[in-house]
Amino acid sequence: MVKDGGQLYTIEGFAAGLIMILTAYLVVNATSVYTPGDTHISDMQLEVLGNDALNIMDVSPDHTVDKTALQTIIENDQAETFKTMFLNMTNNRTEMEPDRIWFVANYSCRNSADNSVQSYPLSTSRALAGGEHAVRVTKWVIVNKNVCGASLIPPQDRSVLVEVLMWRD
Amino acid sequence: VAGLNDDAQWIVLMGFIVSFSFFFLALVINQSTVVGQTTAESVMEFPKNDIRDVRSVMIKSAENANIDVLREDITVLSLKRKNAVANYTVIPPNPPQETHTYIDIHYNNGVTEYNENWASP
Repeated sequence: MVKDGGQLYTIEGFAAGLIMILTAYLVVNATSVYTPGDTHISDMQLEVLGNDALNIMDVSPDHTVDKTALQTIIENDQAETFKTMFLNMTNNRTEMEPDRIWFVANYSCRNSADNSVQSYPLSTSRALAGGEHAVRVTKWVIVNKNVCGASLIPPQDRSVLVEVLMWRD
Repeated sequence: VAGLNDDAQWIVLMGFIVSFSFFFLALVINQSTVVGQTTAESVMEFPKNDIRDVRSVMIKSAENANIDVLREDITVLSLKRKNAVANYTVIPPNPPQETHTYIDIHYNNGVTEYNENWASP
């Protein structure tokens, strides 16, 4: 005859064991979510910063000026002006050395002959090497320019999409 | 369990309480690692800036003489470069009864849909 004096201890042991296994499972499961340095948060901040910079570049300084800086830059292909303005707005920080944000900017336009879309380089602060973790920000601009091979005199107003890839290194 | 010595029931109870608290702590840790990710992802995936931007260019184009070309530009570029369907109709004012310009704005990127009936001030 087997003594049955320790049954409650046995049940407790099983319950505690099950809870420990479940706890270990939850913990292992939690750490396997791969979030390297919470990059999503800095991506989000970079995207917001880029959108804000592009928005400000597409605002006229006052009502006497009807072209915005961004319109003038695209119409006259002022790559250096874009670079200076954009980097000033994104890299300057208060009481700290400047941030290290780089960008490649293009604009896309529609070819009215066959409705195809082409992209043209606008400005670059550093060539894209391929390993960057870049975010993409865009801005619609109406420009008075012959885009995508059009050759009208005078040029028509056209909508183009400015696309900026930006990253921090 | 007849004849079992039950002097240690407090110890058993405490053991249960401690294990359950570990269990809930683990649940909290499990959830906390994805908090930053899901928040940032939802900000990036909700096209707030895209909608504001495409809406403002549509409104700007409504007073442009070249509206038909501009509309085609916006529709084609939205689809091919932004993966979004964007279209709009401009209803010009009809004075003297009606002095406002109306724009029917439609935007859909497959996840978020936005429709607006804009009236000029």
